[in-house]
Amino acid sequence: MNRPDHNATSVSDIAVELTEVDKIFYQRQRSEKVRDVFKNLFRPNVREIRALQKVNLEIHCGEIVAYAGPNGAGKSTTVKLLSSVLAPTSGTVRCLGMDPMKDRVHYVKRIGVVFGQRTELWWDQPVAASFEWKRVVWDIPRDRYDAMLDFVKELLGIDAFFNSLARQLSLGQKMRADLALMLMHEPEILFLDEPTIGVDVLAKRNILDFIKNLNREKGVTVMITSHDMDELEQLAGRIVMIDKGHIAFDGDFGELRGQFGDRRHLVIETADTSPPKLSGVQFIESKSNRHHFTFDAAQISIPTLLDQAAEQTTIHDVETHRAPIDDVIADMYEYWDGKEG
Amino acid sequence: MKTLTKLFARWRVQAYLDFMWMTRDFRFFLINIISDTILNLAGVTAVFLLAERFEGIGLWSRDQIVFMLGYAALVRGLLDMGFSYNILHISRRIGRGQMDHTLMQPQPVWMGLLTEGFMPFSGSWSLLTGIGIWTWAIFQLDAVFTLYWWLMFFCNLASSCAIVLSFSFAWGSLAFWAPVAAEEISSRAVNFMFQLKSFPLDGLSTYVLASMLTVLPVGFVAWYPCGQLLGIAPANLWHTPLVAMVFSLIAWILFKKGMQHYEQTGSQRYLGFGHRG
Repeated sequence: MNRPDHNATSVSDIAVELTEVDKIFYQRQRSEKVRDVFKNLFRPNVREIRALQKVNLEIHCGEIVAYAGPNGAGKSTTVKLLSSVLAPTSGTVRCLGMDPMKDRVHYVKRIGVVFGQRTELWWDQPVAASFEWKRVVWDIPRDRYDAMLDFVKELLGIDAFFNSLARQLSLGQKMRADLALMLMHEPEILFLDEPTIGVDVLAKRNILDFIKNLNREKGVTVMITSHDMDELEQLAGRIVMIDKGHIAFDGDFGELRGQFGDRRHLVIETADTSPPKLSGVQFIESKSNRHHFTFDAAQISIPTLLDQAAEQTTIHDVETHRAPIDDVIADMYEYWDGKEG
Repeated sequence: MKTLTKLFARWRVQAYLDFMWMTRDFRFFLINIISDTILNLAGVTAVFLLAERFEGIGLWSRDQIVFMLGYAALVRGLLDMGFSYNILHISRRIGRGQMDHTLMQPQPVWMGLLTEGFMPFSGSWSLLTGIGIWTWAIFQLDAVFTLYWWLMFFCNLASSCAIVLSFSFAWGSLAFWAPVAAEEISSRAVNFMFQLKSFPLDGLSTYVLASMLTVLPVGFVAWYPCGQLLGIAPANLWHTPLVAMVFSLIAWILFKKGMQHYEQTGSQRYLGFGHRG
């Protein structure tokens, strides 16, 4: 999906708008020393944690936005702010033209939220019972409910376990059931906090396909967090990276890769078991006569490298591919950590 | 009217969930009934045996004692039936970060808490035991019960339930500030009330009695309202409802403060069990 041109969009096109949002938590620090017992009790040290700092973010209707960052960066805090669970310390949070805290009851009727490690399913009940409960609590008209049930059953394939007890489902089935349940009230925007955590490759692919289909067919806006960058790259056109409460990057995946050069992997199969000495590359490993290197294609071209290798040995085969996005992100986190240090 | 319709719709769906759960496994269902009945009878047996042996306790005749035991069992039964899934033990939900689920539902928080724990089938065995004991006592008592008495009986019964619930919520609100340390505080508060609910408190000293009717309002679970209803104490049948209002107000203020705190801090921990079975 292409990222919409922000300059060309009207205000009503904005689904999510965070303006100068700060979120500060306070954490008590307790000393392990016996002499500090009373101090721990009555005057403990309090550490201020700035989970979000002056965050400005806009998400437009119909976008799929990947929201990523290292552990503790502020991803879940942002999702909670947008789910009516948490209030910002300062700044304004608007979504679908509403304040999630002040308009909570009306607001949550229009959004869908899934936290990967939580479930909305009634544990000792068949999946079907949770859907009936949802129909009543969300006050979904019967005809809309029936139509949506058919839709989600088809899209997520939950029919096979619709009458099974929730506690007997696999992680993948549980997540599909949770996603289906979330959609029953036809939310306009979805906040998905690590929805594929712990699920197997096939279930993950099904879930990602489902999110893409939903966005394409119904125009649902999606904000998704995950640690799996490949997964995010498959899904989203835009990625927002957050680090230590700041928006550190906002753009598409191509731009993100460009942040640290155009990193590639090169594998050269030669006649010798010792690797050729190439300048401007980083040697990774040799397995028999296959030699692995990594390099920045923006700095040095592949023909130059092959020329260098050909001068030293006979080349049998060559493979080159872009570095996985996970490697790019890992470099980015490392760079951020280094900057902090 | 619309609110009432919503409330009944939610109670109905919870009743459906409960019925489906209870009938799914007949063996489990039977074990459930038997264990609940034994537990409830055991809870009142000691006092009943004392009353039987001494033909009453203090100012109370044996049948009046049985009436009080039935009343106490009714209070417990109603709370077990109406506020399961850890709503009666609210500090567990708060301490485990489960209020997030309530906040993400399109209804006021009070509506969710009032309806989500309704288990009229599997949770009704305490209530049935209470009805049994209490009905037996009503037929044994040599008294004429007017319509006003019946109205006040139900009003006092609801008030006693409200006092236990308020006591649990007032203490449970501590879990907003100390989620781990106070996770079980509502259970302790409720167990304290339920363990002492069946004892006639007449012989206690003024100070202990005063505390049992104020800071630890266990006297209002059964002893005080039953004394009023049966004319053992100078009757003012409005005392318990008034006290219930005061406790409800205190609990409401504390819980609201706690919710405001929760909205600022959220929960740093999450455990998924207990609130959905």
